[in-house]
Amino acid sequence: MSISRITSTISHSVNGVSQRVVRAVPSVVVEGDKTNRAIAWVGEKLSSPHNRLILGVTALMSQPFIDLNNKKVDEQTRIVSAARTVAKIIAGTLTGFSVRYLSIKAIDAFSKLPEQINDTTKFKRLRTLFTPTSALNGVLKDLTQYKFAYGTYLSLGVMLFTNFLIDAPLTKVLTNVFLTGNIHGRGAIPTTINEAKSKRRDKNA
Amino acid sequence: MLKPSVLQPINDWIAKHYENSPGKMLIHTGIVGWVMSSAAQVFAIGINDTIPKKQKVFLIPQEIADAAVNILSFYAITQSCKSLASTLVRTGKLIPKCVANELKAKNLLDKCGDLGFNVLKNADLSADVAKKFKAFSNGIDFSATTLGAILSCNIVTPLARNYIAAKRQQASIAKLDAVENVPAKVTEKPFFARPTMVDFQGARFSTYGSGSGLKV
Repeated sequence: MSISRITSTISHSVNGVSQRVVRAVPSVVVEGDKTNRAIAWVGEKLSSPHNRLILGVTALMSQPFIDLNNKKVDEQTRIVSAARTVAKIIAGTLTGFSVRYLSIKAIDAFSKLPEQINDTTKFKRLRTLFTPTSALNGVLKDLTQYKFAYGTYLSLGVMLFTNFLIDAPLTKVLTNVFLTGNIHGRGAIPTTINEAKSKRRDKNA
Repeated sequence: MLKPSVLQPINDWIAKHYENSPGKMLIHTGIVGWVMSSAAQVFAIGINDTIPKKQKVFLIPQEIADAAVNILSFYAITQSCKSLASTLVRTGKLIPKCVANELKAKNLLDKCGDLGFNVLKNADLSADVAKKFKAFSNGIDFSATTLGAILSCNIVTPLARNYIAAKRQQASIAKLDAVENVPAKVTEKPFFARPTMVDFQGARFSTYGSGSGLKV
């Protein structure tokens, strides 16, 4: 059996399964105007920074509880793990959202369409540094998704540095604060969840 | 036409692959992000002088395996959600009201759900409706990809990680216990007896000495 025959058999099988799945799903027509506008707004305005923010917020609602209920490790390990998880989520989300947002803004500033450049525009030569050929030719008029994609890829390069310079130190500081109440991590780490809760209660009293 | 920039090949590549697909961009950049952060973790282990070489030989492949699980889980779940959602939209199984009305008028509703049917290409939608359909399609693409990422990153990956880390911890504890129970291989002599070369050679394998042996 040749490789092309094998791949076409696999492709045919996948298509068959996909067809059955698609036919099994009932047809849905989104009737409400508000709903349709909301879905369109999501597609037009939201991108990777918002995706990162949503992931961070939903992570805070699930991951710490998974860690605190991990019966395979002792209680102190669960507490440390959960504290570190919350710290990582907060630090990662703040850094991730900021870097992505600013990178997209930077791409937006230097990916102008030809008609957006006039005599009063500063740094004219740089303004089309990231503009694709299809936009320079006048074929592509809307660069929104393009800017989101380019800005996100640019942010990955920036995050090579911010992961070590901001993310990791901030995670360490926040972990120390959650475990011991101070940024240096001085003091005893609670050994049980009840101890951690009473420590928090005493601090708030 | 303005002069093309030095980054034109990159600009055109991104425009070609991501101009119409926010979900695809989120998945690809997510994977690249995971690979980079995992590579950074492996690099951090490699340059950390406080970790003995013997442990690095264990930790680095483990970190790579951990990363592989995370990345595969992210790709499998997120891509499945995105593919299913975009197929449902493309074939007309999930459409806005304006598109449904136009398909009904053209007697194309019975084709909805057929994998070979593409609403945008085959239904000859009016310009206004096509624009609304594209915006709807992008919104569903983003939403499905985000939902897949939430399932993968916030539920499947933490559970898998906890399981792997717990196994790792148990294995390390078992290894430590085994080491403590092994008796010293150095033969004991009265303190006044002069040590011989055999004693020095035996001391190399003492559990109370350096486990890694002579580095010279």
